[in-house]
Amino acid sequence: MTYVIHPRPNPIIAAMYTLRDMDVDVIVVHGPAGCGFMASRMLEEAGVRVVTSGMKENDLIFGGADALIHTLQEVKRKFAPRSVAVIGTCASTIIGDDMAAAIRRADMGPGCTVFPVNCSGCLGDNTEGAVRALNAGAKAGFVPQAEADRQAALLRAATALEKRVGMASREYLSPAVSPTKLNVCRRIVQAFRDEKKVAVVMIAKKELAYRFADLFVAVDEARRTLGGQTFFVANLDGSLGLPRIRRYCANVGAELDADGVRLDAVIGGLDEYAVVGDRMQQAVDAFAPDLRVFIGICHAYPDLRKDDILITDQPRELANYLDQQFIQAVGEISSHSMVMGATGIVHLETADTLRELVREG
Amino acid sequence: MRRIAIYGKGGIGKSTTSANITDALAARGLKVMQIGCDPKADSTCLLTGEPRVRPVLDVMRAGEEVTLDVIVRKGRSGCLCVECGGPKPGMGCAGRGIIAAFEQLEKLGAMDVYRPDVLIYDVLGDVVCGGFAMPIRNGYARDVFIVTSGEMMSLYAANNIAEAVEGFRQDGYARLGGLIQNSRGVSDEDALVDRAAAEMKTQVVFRVPHDAEVQRCEAKGETVVRGAPDSAQAAAYRQLAGIIYDRAEDVSGGMRLGTDNPAGGCDHE
Repeated sequence: MTYVIHPRPNPIIAAMYTLRDMDVDVIVVHGPAGCGFMASRMLEEAGVRVVTSGMKENDLIFGGADALIHTLQEVKRKFAPRSVAVIGTCASTIIGDDMAAAIRRADMGPGCTVFPVNCSGCLGDNTEGAVRALNAGAKAGFVPQAEADRQAALLRAATALEKRVGMASREYLSPAVSPTKLNVCRRIVQAFRDEKKVAVVMIAKKELAYRFADLFVAVDEARRTLGGQTFFVANLDGSLGLPRIRRYCANVGAELDADGVRLDAVIGGLDEYAVVGDRMQQAVDAFAPDLRVFIGICHAYPDLRKDDILITDQPRELANYLDQQFIQAVGEISSHSMVMGATGIVHLETADTLRELVREG
Repeated sequence: MRRIAIYGKGGIGKSTTSANITDALAARGLKVMQIGCDPKADSTCLLTGEPRVRPVLDVMRAGEEVTLDVIVRKGRSGCLCVECGGPKPGMGCAGRGIIAAFEQLEKLGAMDVYRPDVLIYDVLGDVVCGGFAMPIRNGYARDVFIVTSGEMMSLYAANNIAEAVEGFRQDGYARLGGLIQNSRGVSDEDALVDRAAAEMKTQVVFRVPHDAEVQRCEAKGETVVRGAPDSAQAAAYRQLAGIIYDRAEDVSGGMRLGTDNPAGGCDHE
């Protein structure tokens, strides 16, 4: 087994994002104030309420129940939520705090569903936190058990993919700095000028679709201006997944329609990034493209070639691709913070570079 | 400063033994500080009588300012008494509590203020987690003695503690000084304890006889050394105190070994 030592995603954070996708009104992190801070802040800015019980030394020693009860009562007073999830952390888990008992004692009233997620940073795979959030939500009647089971299977597939070919397949990756997008955009422009066939494959993870979809808009404009053919495929099936994920598909789809951009194939939902590769490959192979452009979780596609253009948002994933001699890989770093709270397509640097090249003729 | 930790199974007589050692050494004119490391906070009650010392963690829980005046009480023999205390049974983390209490003593410079000749840690039962191993980790105590009878459960506990000390020994701080036999009248008790000591690669440093004087003095809230100084049992405790004192190493440092001594621990053979 690979002993991965570069910073890895955290089960607590995975649980938080999953609860957001379940449309939980308020997420309470039961632990020290700084635990999950970066993610909490991003979720807060995106309109999800995330609060902390702010455990201190005394709570570690004497138990964190009072801090949690106090926090829940504040949540009730300030936000009057219909749903609250309480996530455990390393600190509260090690001392064995009983979150369910504290929730009962906080007495949040009949109009509010409150449920605990038994979670800590020491669960191993980050997806385990997401699975626990889903099962806790299902137990509380907040999501159907069938959906929780479907999600759990997808999350396990995502973990397996990461361990096989993704960032978890390498012991250490230092974050790579992206080359400029000029080179890859020139290749796309040249392909169209030569009347070639260009396939664009988006394998997006959830909200990142808001940024990656901009590539379809820019490539479509390039084809209309320069000639050639395109084939667009994306995992934007809006009939699958948790409520929030479906809304992303609807919003992105509507905006592409409005821009006159047509997807040739929609394969899988935004939570199915780990399992859509094979089906996408069939569709792309039938088109027989001269140039292939992948954006998102590129390594979910089964037969990447060294001359493919790969676009990722992760600096470590970029390092992973460049190390393997995918020299046409570029990074759209910090995309995630740009799409938190987005409701429409956000400009992509590669797409803007392509637009500039096309417009300057 | 001699830094001594007394461990042993719950109810085996650690606190009674520790308190008698403390009073015996204090009677020799030494400045002794006893630190109780048990959430029950009853280690020093034979030394102080009433009122008892207020546990460090009680003050912390109340959110009051922790000062040496509040948490260090003079015992009747002139010794200094501290109780760590702990959470309500079944809540929070008592081990973390011990660590926090030690940090408070260190922060307040207790060793600089009182400059004791001998520091005695009286530690709850078994080494159940990292917190209860604190006295033998990170350079707090140097010499560890385990109180045991010939009863099987007591010897098992002693063996666990010896294992923990051996595990930490490599870090250069604490070392096992030996077993203190607190006789309970088990048949063939001396041989049983000797055999266990051999298995732990240590020795029995003293056998405290079984004597009803201990219970009589405890009922009066006193150590035997002060309550019945002319008794044979008091003489035994004084002898034990002398042995422990002689076997313990005089090492410099603040609350911890190595705080004045950048080389770290002193077990570099």
